[in-house]
Amino acid sequence: MKEPNKLPDDPQLSGLLRQARVSPGLPPRFQQNVWRRLGDAEAAAPAGSWLDSLAGLFLRPRVALAAAAVILLAGGLAGTMQGRQLARQDAQMNYLAAVAPQTVR
Amino acid sequence: MNRSFLILAGALALGAAIFTGSFFTARHATVVCCVQPADDLSWLRTEFHLSDAEMVRIRELHEGYRPKCAEMCAQIAAKKAGLDAALAGGAAPAETQAKLNELAALRAQCQAQMLQHFAAVSQAMPPAQGRRYLAEMQRLTLGSHEQIEHSMPGDASHEHHHH
Repeated sequence: MKEPNKLPDDPQLSGLLRQARVSPGLPPRFQQNVWRRLGDAEAAAPAGSWLDSLAGLFLRPRVALAAAAVILLAGGLAGTMQGRQLARQDAQMNYLAAVAPQTVR
Repeated sequence: MNRSFLILAGALALGAAIFTGSFFTARHATVVCCVQPADDLSWLRTEFHLSDAEMVRIRELHEGYRPKCAEMCAQIAAKKAGLDAALAGGAAPAETQAKLNELAALRAQCQAQMLQHFAAVSQAMPPAQGRRYLAEMQRLTLGSHEQIEHSMPGDASHEHHHH
C-alpha cells in the first residue's frame, strides 16, 4: 500500500514543498526581552545625556537668572569681605606708620 | 553633545565674569568707603571698639607722642647718615663700631619711648582691649626683629626644628 516514490522533479511535490514553510515559534519571553534590550540601549547609548539635561536647565530663563543672581551675590559678598580686610590692613598700617616708623622697628 | 558642551562652557564663562565683576566692584567700593587716610587712629576705634571718650584721651596721648617720635626719628636718620658716610669713606672698624653702637642705643631709646606710649594708650582702653592692644603692638613693632633672629642659623629653636 505504499505510494510509489515521487521523483524530485515532480511538480506536485515541488508545489507542496513550496507551500510548506516552517514558521518556528518565538523563543520564550521574547517580548519582554525586546523591551529590556530597548531600555538598555536607551540607557547606555547617550553618554552626554546628563550634559544635555544640564545645558537644558541653563537655557530656562528662570534657572539662568537665579544662577546669575546667586553668583552675583556670592561675588559681592566675597569682595566685601576682602575689601574690609584690606581696609583694616590699610588703617593698621596708617596707625603703625604714625606711632612706629620703619626706622624704629 | 557639542551644543550642550558649548552652552555649558558659555554659562561657565558668563558665571566667572559675573563673579569677577561683582567681586572687584564690591572690594573697591568697600575699601573706598571704609578707609579714612586722614585719621591715623581710625584703626584703633574700630579694632578695639573704643568709645568717644576713650578716643579723646587716646588722641591726646597720640598728639603728645608724635613730636617726640618725629624728633627721635630725625636723630636716628642723622646718625644713620653719619654711619653711611663713615662706611663709604672707608672708616676704621673701631669708628664704625662706635657709630653702630650709637645708632643702636638711639634706636633702643626710641623703642623704649614707643613702648611707654603703647602702655599709656593701653591704659586708656578697657582692660581686656588694652591687653590685646599692647600684645598686638609689641608683635607688630618688635616681632619683626624676633622673626629675623629666629630665622638665623645659630638660633637654638631653629636648630631644634632640624634635629
